[in-house]
Amino acid sequence: MKIDLYKYAVAAGLTRRGLLKGAASVGALAALGGLAPAGRALAGGHGNVRAEILKVPGVGMGSPTDADWQKVGEMCLGPTMERVAQGEFAGVELTFMGLNNQNLHNFLFRGFLKPWEAYTGAKINWIDLAQADYNARLQQSIATGTVDFDILEMGAPFEGDTAGRGLLDEMPGWVSEQIDEGDLVGYLQPPVGTWDGKKYRVTIDGDCHTFAYRKDYFGAGAIGGETVPSTWQQVNAVSKALAGQTDPLTGLPAHGYLDPLKGWGGFGFYFIANRATAYVKHPDDPAWLFDADTMKPRVNNPGWVQAIQDVMDLIATPGAYPADQINADPGTTAFQQFLAGTGSMLMWWGDVGSSARTSDTSVVGDVVGFGINPGSDRRYNAAAGAWEDVANEAPQMAYIGWGIYVTARVSGDEAKRKAAWSAAAHLGGKDLSLWMSAYPSGFQPYRNSHFNYEEWEAAGYDRAFVEDYLGSNADSYNHPNAAVEPRIPGIFQYYSVAEDELAKGFAGQYASAQETADAIAAAWERITDQIGRDSQIALYKASLGM
Amino acid sequence: MASTEADYLHIVTADNISAARIRFGKTIIWASAALLCVVGLVQYLDTQGIVSLGFETWRPTLYAFLIWASCLCWGQVLLYGERGKRALFVLPAALFVVAMVVFPLIFALGIAFSNWNLSSPTGRQFNGLDNVRQMWADPFYWNALKNMVWYTLAIVVEYAIAFGLALALNAQIRARKFFRVAFLLPLMLSPVAVSWMIGKSMLEIRFGPVARLLRELGFDQISFFGSPEMARFMIMAMDAWTFIPFMMIMILAGLQAIPKELREAAEVDGASGWSRFWEITFPLMLPVSITAILIRIIFKLKLADIIINITAGGPGGATDSVTSFIFREYRDRSNVGYGTLLAIVYLVLIVIAMTILMKLADRWMRPRY
Repeated sequence: MKIDLYKYAVAAGLTRRGLLKGAASVGALAALGGLAPAGRALAGGHGNVRAEILKVPGVGMGSPTDADWQKVGEMCLGPTMERVAQGEFAGVELTFMGLNNQNLHNFLFRGFLKPWEAYTGAKINWIDLAQADYNARLQQSIATGTVDFDILEMGAPFEGDTAGRGLLDEMPGWVSEQIDEGDLVGYLQPPVGTWDGKKYRVTIDGDCHTFAYRKDYFGAGAIGGETVPSTWQQVNAVSKALAGQTDPLTGLPAHGYLDPLKGWGGFGFYFIANRATAYVKHPDDPAWLFDADTMKPRVNNPGWVQAIQDVMDLIATPGAYPADQINADPGTTAFQQFLAGTGSMLMWWGDVGSSARTSDTSVVGDVVGFGINPGSDRRYNAAAGAWEDVANEAPQMAYIGWGIYVTARVSGDEAKRKAAWSAAAHLGGKDLSLWMSAYPSGFQPYRNSHFNYEEWEAAGYDRAFVEDYLGSNADSYNHPNAAVEPRIPGIFQYYSVAEDELAKGFAGQYASAQETADAIAAAWERITDQIGRDSQIALYKASLGM
Repeated sequence: MASTEADYLHIVTADNISAARIRFGKTIIWASAALLCVVGLVQYLDTQGIVSLGFETWRPTLYAFLIWASCLCWGQVLLYGERGKRALFVLPAALFVVAMVVFPLIFALGIAFSNWNLSSPTGRQFNGLDNVRQMWADPFYWNALKNMVWYTLAIVVEYAIAFGLALALNAQIRARKFFRVAFLLPLMLSPVAVSWMIGKSMLEIRFGPVARLLRELGFDQISFFGSPEMARFMIMAMDAWTFIPFMMIMILAGLQAIPKELREAAEVDGASGWSRFWEITFPLMLPVSITAILIRIIFKLKLADIIINITAGGPGGATDSVTSFIFREYRDRSNVGYGTLLAIVYLVLIVIAMTILMKLADRWMRPRY
């Protein structure tokens, strides 16, 4: 769970009494054995691992420490013990490269893996990277042939750069079994994590954009209308109609949807894609950014152009956006605008809702609601080259989420290989993942078993909050028409250059949305040619599972 | 037996250098040079896959270079005695510069004429002048260069303000020492801190104190970075605020070096305040002024941090600097070949422009008779 969300959950509904009640329920459930996964061997004599680990340190008992991480790691060792003998990896040394964001990620992994090291006899060396340095470090290691790590924490968008070049080790079958892969939510099932039919990824995180809105803008007599907009057409109509009105909470000018109009190192592209997926992600076609056979960009097809045009329409409507929106990046729209009471609709990752309650500058904590990505009244069929008057919905799994991968450095050494995969499987274990979802870890829920609200409630969480927050995520994750981004090499290069062209378009330097989209398409074609069209086509198809 | 005693003045000790010593000196220089060539060549052949010796890094060549450098220095003493020792004051530094600046520059030239996208499976490939052609047709680069002209022109205004402040601080004003320190404070701030403190906080349009004040004063639609002209001006202003103190302190130092007698003589001759400034102070300050401006231009041409943090080059590229554009090209798009070419071209442009400026400055600074 992201830190903010944890604080929010605790602030939202936990009292000392509630906690005790929660702990008692966990105990009762544990006694009944109702939550224990069937057939799971349990470590260290704990009766029910899932309920027991949720007591460490206890929801609302302060942030977990290294001692807690080690304790949880030890309690979840059961599946490892089933497959690895004590001391089996003595003398094996592995290097793990990951992040140190917010003192999470690698910090947790160290704690979780300490008991694993003690049991197996392996030793792990750590490379900690700041988020900002991660991409450059990874790309340079790959380009200069200096991959110096055996285990790697990596986002799925980089699978093209690594798996696509044969730098990863194929996941052994026993790992899939140990981590119970079938439990992953729909969009994280293959082809995500696979290349050419081979598996490479132990998933430890899920990511998607959800819709956040202000409840006080919508309802009987509210300024935004009776109902919360559910399509982009409605979002734009409401945003235009709100121009000139007054915000019910702050008394300042009211605004509708907040589009970030400034680039954000490539990540800003996800936000125009939120609009576009509703138009262009056709249920019959997994591809939505490029034609899979030619890598011809679809970003200038009528569906994408409509998405860009929607933004341009709002730019042209005086008062639809806050002043200076041209200089607002996604961080601004979420944290300086939406949470501060400016604007009424936003797309963002899960943590914006939690920050609503825990951030000191937030004023919207009591009036924020969640939903899935708005849809569209019509959709564009790229194969037929025509619009279809059929409603469409396509939540975007922006960034897909983090996973643990093993590099090909270990491929020649069977002991090392087994050790590396055992460590990865330990971190992606089903029980450990529940703890990571429920406590501050930097990771979001990503398994169907994480959406068992009873477990959360029993651990001491507020049921209403958990249902609202988890519900919007679950609906998006398991959506049959979820838009999953292609995991091809250099995907962020495409996003970055698109941001530059969009910024020009939004600043009025191109004559139309079409011209802006054409400029992006031309830039994308150049990147494809530079990286290598044939290899990109092959990798794109592989990433789509075609 | 060779002797240097009679040939040169200023020889502290007489060197009697034997033929054997000269032979030994030449031998170690040429032997180490040969070693360097052989190791370098073998490593090159190894990387090309022509021979397979299993080198993992280029360290052997580095060590051979260090041996050659040491032998070259030692050889100078062996061959030339006292004169050779004098060469040692400069030679190691020169070799260090060659290793750390000249060699990387040559390496960068190789990259600049390559198609090297870090995501490309084919790695680096020589592509001739393709990158130059791409640059020629790249509106983002030309736009950034055009912006750099505007940013550089702003130095004229900065200079005028800095001169004014220096004159004020040079006068007998109250709390002069306090003001000198206070005016220097912005220079001590990191541009990244300025970006966040000023650009992202004080100028934030909703909560920022500046925006609030303007709203109180009756301004409605406040936007500091909304229009291209305004955004560019704000970037110039923030950069100026940081660096005017630098020019000011240089000019102040120059002002204090002007002999008082000149001013007093002019006063005796009945010169007005303006003519004293224009005929005496300003011409005498020209060398310092030109130096301050040249250094300031070099600083300005590297402008990037404020832009990256506040506007990311926007709106629509209006505030993009060459460095911030190269940053995006290199870091966000891993386009190492093209990014390096842009940087090299920029370097060449800077060298040419600075040479012309220095020539002109040299001409301006000659005394008028």
